[in-house]
Amino acid sequence: MGLRTRVAVALVGASGLTVAAVSASSSDSLPAPSLPDPVAPGIHVPSPSPLVHSRHVARWAAVRRAVVARRGPSAAAAGVAEIDTRTPEGTANIVQVLGRARRSTGRLWVRARLPVLPNGTVGWVPRRALGGYNLVRTRLVVDRRRLRATLLRDGRPVFVARVGIGQSRYPTPAGRFYIRNKLTRYSSPTYGPLAFGTSARSTVLTDWPAGGFVGIHGTDQPGLIPGRVSHGCIRMKNAKILELGRLMPVGTPVTVR
Amino acid sequence: MSERNTSESIGALELDELDADGALREVSDALGHPTRGQLLKGAGVGGAMLLAGAAGPVAGAVAKGSAKQDREILNYALALEYLQAAFYTEAERLGALRGEFAHQAQVVGAHERAHVKALRQTLGASAIGRPRFDFRGVTEDQPAFRRTAVAFEDLGTAAYKDQAPRIKSRAYLSAAIRIHSVEARHAAWIRRLAGVLPAPDAFDEPLTKSRVLGVVADTKFVVSAPRTSAFGSPRYTG
Repeated sequence: MGLRTRVAVALVGASGLTVAAVSASSSDSLPAPSLPDPVAPGIHVPSPSPLVHSRHVARWAAVRRAVVARRGPSAAAAGVAEIDTRTPEGTANIVQVLGRARRSTGRLWVRARLPVLPNGTVGWVPRRALGGYNLVRTRLVVDRRRLRATLLRDGRPVFVARVGIGQSRYPTPAGRFYIRNKLTRYSSPTYGPLAFGTSARSTVLTDWPAGGFVGIHGTDQPGLIPGRVSHGCIRMKNAKILELGRLMPVGTPVTVR
Repeated sequence: MSERNTSESIGALELDELDADGALREVSDALGHPTRGQLLKGAGVGGAMLLAGAAGPVAGAVAKGSAKQDREILNYALALEYLQAAFYTEAERLGALRGEFAHQAQVVGAHERAHVKALRQTLGASAIGRPRFDFRGVTEDQPAFRRTAVAFEDLGTAAYKDQAPRIKSRAYLSAAIRIHSVEARHAAWIRRLAGVLPAPDAFDEPLTKSRVLGVVADTKFVVSAPRTSAFGSPRYTG
């Protein structure tokens, strides 16, 4: 008998003994051993639910390091603008994230809407120049003809206000922008109790302090609203800007039409 | 949470001994190898809570001291679940993954979000806040995602294994074991997809809290929120 045959015989014999032992114990009248009841879990884990995708989601990121935005996703592409890490108000500079590309080198690039002139400028920045992604589900639409601002959340209106916009010689620029920051607790009645900074810039007041950025803010002259009364900013009554302050997060896309 | 060795310094930990496959090392190198100290300094409230746990009572009928310890353990688990849930959720939202990796992220992300929801409900007001994360591109690049996912799942499994014997409440222990085995399945799944042996050893080793948090800190994925509001006077066009 070869080694493999001897091993096989031994295994068959052992399994036969096991079967015999099990049969013997099952035929005995001894009670079957009982186990205590299982412990009920103290944490209820709900059924996993799939992620809800929404076309109303926009993404933004803070600029982590100063960078030159480029026309294409390549360090060799022409520069579009220099993007700093801070706004003139001292807050983190942010960009709206529109897309991405991965180079054959493995380097990731992000396509971003930029807070520079000309308005509407889009450029590419290395992913590593940006911080983490943040999502918003809101969008502000400013209708210059009807002098009205509407905030949408998940595509549905949640806020409407009459507004003041730029005079004809200082027009509020049309286009797609985003909310860059929010200022409060300042002592400047002209701007009301709260002011949002946007990525839009006046095309006329280019020498305005801090770059001529268009804001959305309150006012100390509520009687002028609605109207074409400002230097380009979007004004609303103080109660409305405070309400908007509770509803609209930084990073919200803004459409001025 | 009581530490086995309170004198153990996070900064003195060696990543190599925690990361036998080199997965986290690769991620860390790809990110410029930030130090744990940098993360600890840079993390905001959420990150600090992640690294420190939180105060407050846990619902349930366990003695006061035991309840405190259980609460700390559950908050620690919640911190890791926040990390994993955010990682997979961002990967799915960005849509950069393909094939089985996309499917894995979709399924595991749903599991991790369920774990977060369960732990938050159990902890109630004691639950730590959700930290901010910056995944630095690993959620939008499949090779980087693969390496990070392997590391995260191994890390989560080892963390649950370390803490489970310390849980005083049998009801919480029962729940933790149920989550732990799911994390182990996640680890095996992503390891198979990544071409790494799913079960390389007969016995798995636990990782202490300080070691786990040291590895998390090394990734520099936990960040402070960018400052987007201020009190200064506006200089907008008016």
